[in-house]
Amino acid sequence: MKYEDYLIWRMGAGVLATIGLYSVLYKENKLYRFFEHVFLGLASGWTLVALWTETLQASWWDKMIGTATQDGKVVNGSWAYILLLPIGLMGYFVFSKKHNWMSRIPIGIILGLYSGQQIQVWWNTYGPQIAASAKPIFPTTFTSLTVPSKEGLTPEQIAIINGNVYTSQAVTNFLFVFTVLSVLSYFLFSFDVKNKALKFSTTSGRYLLMIGFGAIFGSTVMMRFTLLIDRMYFVFDEFLKQGILRR
Amino acid sequence: MDGNKLQSIPKPILYLLLILVTTIPLFADLSVPNKPQDAAIDLYAELMKLEPGSTILIASDWTGSTRGESKGAFRAIMKILMRRGVKVAFYSSADPQAPRVYQDALTELNKEHVAEGGKPYERWSDWVNVGFFPNAEAATNGISQDLKGAFTGRKDFPPGSVPKDVFASPVLEGKEKVEDFKMLLVITASKTSNITVERIYGKTPLAFAVTGVMVPETQVFYQAKQLVGFSGGLKGVLDLETLLETGVNYPDKATAKVKSEKYDTIEGFPGKKNKGQGTKYYPTLHFALAFMILLVVVGNVGMIMSKRQAAAGGAK
Repeated sequence: MKYEDYLIWRMGAGVLATIGLYSVLYKENKLYRFFEHVFLGLASGWTLVALWTETLQASWWDKMIGTATQDGKVVNGSWAYILLLPIGLMGYFVFSKKHNWMSRIPIGIILGLYSGQQIQVWWNTYGPQIAASAKPIFPTTFTSLTVPSKEGLTPEQIAIINGNVYTSQAVTNFLFVFTVLSVLSYFLFSFDVKNKALKFSTTSGRYLLMIGFGAIFGSTVMMRFTLLIDRMYFVFDEFLKQGILRR
Repeated sequence: MDGNKLQSIPKPILYLLLILVTTIPLFADLSVPNKPQDAAIDLYAELMKLEPGSTILIASDWTGSTRGESKGAFRAIMKILMRRGVKVAFYSSADPQAPRVYQDALTELNKEHVAEGGKPYERWSDWVNVGFFPNAEAATNGISQDLKGAFTGRKDFPPGSVPKDVFASPVLEGKEKVEDFKMLLVITASKTSNITVERIYGKTPLAFAVTGVMVPETQVFYQAKQLVGFSGGLKGVLDLETLLETGVNYPDKATAKVKSEKYDTIEGFPGKKNKGQGTKYYPTLHFALAFMILLVVVGNVGMIMSKRQAAAGGAK
């Protein structure tokens, strides 16, 4: 079989799977079930092989038994890697009512390692964001409402512009800081909010969160549409127009 | 007209219409005006800053399920890197299928690159596949703390040879730690982007290419300067394709199609095949969104009509 023919067959299988999986939109049917099971089987088989060839073999087996390179060099293995096997196998005792306490040992090790990383993880994630949230909300100059163009200016003049807070920037920063504080105040659940200012802040926080969720939902919808467009492109353009009709 | 009918259009008809709306515009030569966002301009500028022969690390964590967005981003980014002769070490930690998927896309892209007169982008000497790591947290932590330990034992294929240790590749020559890479770029459709910030931020410049649904969370990292730039969703892909064509302040600030005060002139690649999925799909996306808005309006009109009809019926 020519390589081009193989590609057409391969794409044809993809098109058939696409139609099979989309057929559920009409109603639940056997064609959909068939392709769902084919997909699950393929994914499981691929994962199993990838886990061995790409992970366990390189990161554990080869390091335990040692390897020989093509140019005759020998890398000795280390017997200590065998100790990882019983620890890993203990995880499977979760299925035994009598011995499931053993499964807690590897889980405990993983939890311990994970917990130990969390201080660094938290700081790396939120430290810069907290710092970036502290923004100036008062303008330092009224020479211009917006940031002036820096085109054709000397580095000293640009430094002066960068060092100032213009009214438009101050307004933007105020909106940002107000959003941060009002959303934070919305999560004050531990006492009854009676203060009017705080009530205004928590209500604003709720509405701003809704706007945020709306934006997230909008992005999600656009993404799903893009994925559908790509599938249609695959079926009608790549397979039908460029594949079948050009032959 | 019965308002209830407008609210209960049969689903197969709606799906059929949706398929038509997302298919027919693909065959028309349409385009929409585009102004690249700052995040995409920053990503483009950072990629164009990389010197030929330097090496970056790419976490390719996308598969066929998000091909519509991720493949476009991958192709646009790799076009820049291939044309500039930047070397790449790839790894994946989100899905075992990811290495196969990006390699197929790279093969396709390499053919186009050679057809354009470019130097072949060779496995082993220009890029190397470090492979899949099954636990993103552990893998990223390993790369952050002990790159040598994390990648040791991984093998890839030199041309005409049996697999060899990835550190024997020219791509990873002299690379001992993650700081030795000029950039870590994560092309992802999953939370591996967050995990990368959590564990690697501050060690090497980070940049992302994420799917549309991840844009709001990624924007936060960008605003806090944890990322040097990012491409988000189909718009991000279109931005990169636009920048490939126009550059930034290129050929000069007066006549440039894309201007930015932040940068001097950054070249584009006019005359080459820069357009791709972003340019192709973006107009169609507008039709799909317009169709959805139309259906929302129809549903609401139907609801108002049925309420009025019910009220009129009750009055009788």
